[in-house]
Amino acid sequence: MSYGPASDLRAALAGSRPTPSRREVLRAAANGFAMLPLADLVHSGGGGNSHGGNRHHPARAKNVIFLYMDGGPSTVDLFDYKPRLEADHGKPFAMPMEPTQFQNNGNTLGPRWKFRQRGESGQWISDLLPHLATQADRLCVIRSVVANFSEHTNANYFLHTGHGLQGRPSMGAWIGYGLGSDNQNLPSFVVLNGGLVPPGGIDCFHSGFLPPATQGSLFRMAGDPLANIRAREQNPTLQRRKVDLVQALDSAGLTNEGGAAEIEAAIRNHELAFAMQRDVPELTDLSNESPRLLSMYGLDDDYEQTRIYGRQCLLARRLVERGVRFVELTCPNTGFDRWDQHNKLDRGLPKNCHMIDQPIAALLTDLEARGLLDETIVLFGGEFGRTPFAQGSNGRDHNPFGFTMWLAGGGFRPGTSYGSTDDYGYKAVENPVEIHDIHATILHQLGIDHERLTYRFGGRDLRLTDVYGHVLAPLLA
Amino acid sequence: MPRHGQPVRRRLFAASLAIGALFATDLSAQGADGQGFDLEERRQEHWAWQQLQTAKTAPDAPPTVDGFIRARLTATGLSPAAPAAPHTALRRLWLDLVGLPPAPETVRAFVADPSEAAWNAQVDVLLDSPQFGERWARHWLDLVRYAETLGHEFDFPLPNAWRYRDYVIRAFNADLPYDQFLREHVAGDLLPEPRRNENGENESVQATAAWWFVEQTHSPVDARQHQADRIDNQIDVLGKAMLGMTVACARCHDHKFDAISQADYYSLFGFVKSSRYVQAPIAPADTTSPTYRDARAGHHRLAQIWASTAAPANPRWDTLQRAHPERWSASTAIGALRAGDRMIASAATPDTGWHHTNDAFGAAPWRGPWCPDPTSDKPELHLLPGAFWHSGIAGRRREGTLATDTFEISERYLHVRAAGRQARLVVIVDGFHVVRDPIYGGLNRRVDRAEPQWFTFDLKAWLGRPAVLHCIDQVAHDIGDPIYQKESNWPTDGWLAVAAVVGSDDEEPPPAELGLRLPYRPWDTAPAAVQQRLDGLAAAQAALPAPSPTLPALADSSGSDEQLYIRGNHRTPGARQPRRFLSALAGNEPMSIRRGSGRLELADAILAPDNPLPTRTIVNRIWHHLFGRGLSRSVDNLGVLGDPPTHPDLLDWLARDFVAHGWSIKHTIRRIVRSATYRQSSRSRTDGERTDPANLLLHRQNVRRLEAEAVRDSLLAVSGELQNELYGPSIPIPHESVTHARGKPRRSGPIDGDGRRSVYLAVRRNFMPPMLHAFDLPTPFAPVGRRSVSNVPAQALTLLNDPFVHLMCERWADRLLAAPAADLEARISQAWQTAFARAPRADELQRVREFLRAAVAADGTTIADAAPWRALLHCLVNTKEFTFRR
Repeated sequence: MSYGPASDLRAALAGSRPTPSRREVLRAAANGFAMLPLADLVHSGGGGNSHGGNRHHPARAKNVIFLYMDGGPSTVDLFDYKPRLEADHGKPFAMPMEPTQFQNNGNTLGPRWKFRQRGESGQWISDLLPHLATQADRLCVIRSVVANFSEHTNANYFLHTGHGLQGRPSMGAWIGYGLGSDNQNLPSFVVLNGGLVPPGGIDCFHSGFLPPATQGSLFRMAGDPLANIRAREQNPTLQRRKVDLVQALDSAGLTNEGGAAEIEAAIRNHELAFAMQRDVPELTDLSNESPRLLSMYGLDDDYEQTRIYGRQCLLARRLVERGVRFVELTCPNTGFDRWDQHNKLDRGLPKNCHMIDQPIAALLTDLEARGLLDETIVLFGGEFGRTPFAQGSNGRDHNPFGFTMWLAGGGFRPGTSYGSTDDYGYKAVENPVEIHDIHATILHQLGIDHERLTYRFGGRDLRLTDVYGHVLAPLLA
Repeated sequence: MPRHGQPVRRRLFAASLAIGALFATDLSAQGADGQGFDLEERRQEHWAWQQLQTAKTAPDAPPTVDGFIRARLTATGLSPAAPAAPHTALRRLWLDLVGLPPAPETVRAFVADPSEAAWNAQVDVLLDSPQFGERWARHWLDLVRYAETLGHEFDFPLPNAWRYRDYVIRAFNADLPYDQFLREHVAGDLLPEPRRNENGENESVQATAAWWFVEQTHSPVDARQHQADRIDNQIDVLGKAMLGMTVACARCHDHKFDAISQADYYSLFGFVKSSRYVQAPIAPADTTSPTYRDARAGHHRLAQIWASTAAPANPRWDTLQRAHPERWSASTAIGALRAGDRMIASAATPDTGWHHTNDAFGAAPWRGPWCPDPTSDKPELHLLPGAFWHSGIAGRRREGTLATDTFEISERYLHVRAAGRQARLVVIVDGFHVVRDPIYGGLNRRVDRAEPQWFTFDLKAWLGRPAVLHCIDQVAHDIGDPIYQKESNWPTDGWLAVAAVVGSDDEEPPPAELGLRLPYRPWDTAPAAVQQRLDGLAAAQAALPAPSPTLPALADSSGSDEQLYIRGNHRTPGARQPRRFLSALAGNEPMSIRRGSGRLELADAILAPDNPLPTRTIVNRIWHHLFGRGLSRSVDNLGVLGDPPTHPDLLDWLARDFVAHGWSIKHTIRRIVRSATYRQSSRSRTDGERTDPANLLLHRQNVRRLEAEAVRDSLLAVSGELQNELYGPSIPIPHESVTHARGKPRRSGPIDGDGRRSVYLAVRRNFMPPMLHAFDLPTPFAPVGRRSVSNVPAQALTLLNDPFVHLMCERWADRLLAAPAADLEARISQAWQTAFARAPRADELQRVREFLRAAVAADGTTIADAAPWRALLHCLVNTKEFTFRR
């Protein structure tokens, strides 16, 4: 039955709030995307700005933009500067090697591009990322992330859902479930699909056992952003007539056959879909953005992939502005198999960097200028890093033992680094950070206790962080 | 190769150590051996473990569905609702039983005579119609997480998975007794007398495909972890789908709430671990058929005569034979094993160590040395000295898989003596059968030489692990192999000959007739006596049937128990857990297992008369599908965390009645839908809303949104596009409807799915049919007995703008206009009858007339054109009356 999740929700809310009636739940469900913060529904009637009102603790941030780097970027070439790795280039690798995916391990492979210290914070960033380098003082860099899996699909599920197998809800779904959306006409979790869907497929963005309304809506970058979003009926008069007739028949049905909460909810859902037909195309219409701003995002760049990613970054800002809770960006296709540089590292890595560098710097600048950075968590990273030793001669294999991710905004301490890997950037040695810790900390900044955001499924109260995760207090401003 | 047993480790850090300590506490509090956990007490305290109760009713008032329901209503001061209007009841019955709306003529006839007899007749018609199975099979497919691909990175196809879907449809249509249905699911491959259909095809084995709708990682770094995860999912299905119990919750510790111990979990684990994946043939085996014997014997005689009468074809052969006569005898062709060699299986000792899953390799090995070469159309003899299991003797289109016993990898190298064409040798370690690059590529070797040679596998990475060698001459066996993703690439005329499987510390294989290009005898050297036999032989070969269709299935491996994994971690094995069923139902004694996995005995235990779980579970599910809510709402979990039944006496009575009537699902459906409780109105009432707001007591019927398939099938039905064709390979979904990603299906399908019902649309894990998914077709990863019924804008957007919906409205409008109609009102009325199973009311007629006038004006069309009608019909399918059943 459609009120299925209600009892689970009650459990999730740990009895601390009034129990909604079935009818209330169904009415609330008609709010579509905003359906699930039952807290909000019960307390504020299902709409409006829920920021900070019903969290487990005061929230520091409202939204998340996840810059997901598909394939596992080579963070030893980008962020994790290791003089020893440079010095030992070409020598046999000095540490014992863990099993790798391809087991075609070569010698130590130093970074080919120059590292410099940037900004007042003096963070090391490669010359491959000149624009991002100007943002160094905004970044909170974690140089000691570890993941549990060294193959893409498991690692992607793990990064997104906190669990290595298919079927669990994605981080964005959990957050939408916990907080709902501040925009009644847009999904709480939007994936801006640059072109590549990661290994593991769209289940990386799935709602799993959570209500389907929480799942990531994939917006395409070409054509219509959503399936079936464009009204097929082109004649506005006829469109109006059709809307009227459906409404008239539906309400006559309720009169004649008696009210039914399920049907009333579906009627309102139908109205929401009409609203989306209007609002979603408006969202993706960039004609009212200034040419200077478009240029800042790289929309006039010579490289098509930079233009696509720039458009994604700009849309991410517009979505956050409109109250969308969680925005994830997947990568456009540079023709070098994502960030998965098993070979052609010298060509693939610069292409990928060029694609994202200017757009991301623009996004941070733009969010800051609009006062949004403070309430928006920007997370940058892939499912794992890459080995400091070569695969073949010009590639790097997967390395889940120590790699870099960074956060910005949302109350994360700017201009800092946390944790470190060994002298080669191979394994985390100081303050290792697990994916569950990052999840826990992001939830914390949003006002959610990761141990209390649960959903009963298959006889267990399940969490994004499973039975793990610690809030990383040193990262917080 | 990565070393196994050394996956990426997470517990390196202090933070995790704290968690480890927490678990350690947990473990000592409720130990794996059941300390601190009183299973018997839990069993006694929870309703679901108790025997089915006999209904207590007065002798003059035998129990009925309505009697039980009314008793609780009366006690609460409520009365049942009035009967639903005939058209409402009939539409409900159709949608619930066959998932389609009734045709206008059917409605008219029933409304004219809504008698008890007419109702019962409708019930029987629907239960007897093939569409019944198509709808109810889908309910079961949700429970076994039916899918035709493996998900994960590349979403590899699971070849022939669709045959299982057809099996389930046939089973429901035939009203296969549910106990037999379950028995076939557990041990359909092992039944001494499998159920066969009218073509002699084995039905029973097909049920075991359900075990393989499990997600499969390609190249897991730790195969054993992968096995543990896979079997966890398989036990989850067994537990929830068949028993209504969350058995898999006991993977890491004793169940937190139910009378299920961690030992129970690993006892069941052993049954699954002792079984393996095969593509099982369903056609009757023909090894005993005269044509098969003729073909095989014919070849044998041919080889003998030719070899004995012809002159030697190659002088080197004579030399060789004289020098080493011992090498060419059937029993010793492999030569002497060296120190460090171990014979794992040999065709010279065919009675031990081998498992056949098809007929191709025959009942006995071929004993050479001369053997007809099946590669060539012209018979040639080639040298195959010794004994070989040979799949090409009776004809090269014979197909099959030969497996060894499970063996422990105790030597680094595995040497396999084999010859063949388009065949494979695959080492299955820890049951991991998606054997391919990057990690496992070396365990999957192609055999493509007619001359025997050694195939050497380096198993260093898997020392100590259990393995099986699959010798495969079969299409569609090898899931995950790119060449098998395209059916046209499937070879059907390969063959395979296997002599011996040797484990060895030595990378060099044992001595055998190695090192020379072996001589053969071409056809033109054949004596006349041989040539004379050929015509008959060719005829015998031609008469052999085509290779059997196959599907994924279980086959037995060597039976073995599993050790309990402490805290669910396979790297910390505890005590061995003898295979047995749940101790709460069958006690702690190890099961007496005759041979193999023991699944036959497990099926007996599950179906033991004193196990109340399977029957309560299934009748509760039936109730759920007819009312939208089970008597216990949590249909997949009758345990402590599930919902207790609202009417326990009714549940038990239905279960007993079900068994008394031969475990007949149709009987129980009939029993329920004939009741007044089912047929009552769904209209909400003030007194009912006040006293029974969730309608737990069923003071009225429930209003329900149609399931995904029923929404799409209704659109096909009203538009006249529905094809009543049953069965067959799945219809691909249109490419434009899915996001591009790895593993995207090669073939795109038509927008209208060829008019086939939704149950026939391809279910690919990573590319689910978007429309069905929007309407809550579940993601296939765990049993779903109760689908979520969401209310999301994607549903409304689909009905508003999806090309399929518009196409259906166009075709419907064309048909509506092509049909004779007295006047405008008659035409509107026909549309109403089709969409809603009723005539329009006066106010509706009035509105529609106005709408059509406005539509014509807005478009510049006329009422004789299709355009205004398309617009109207599109409005009808967007009303809630279309997508809800009252």
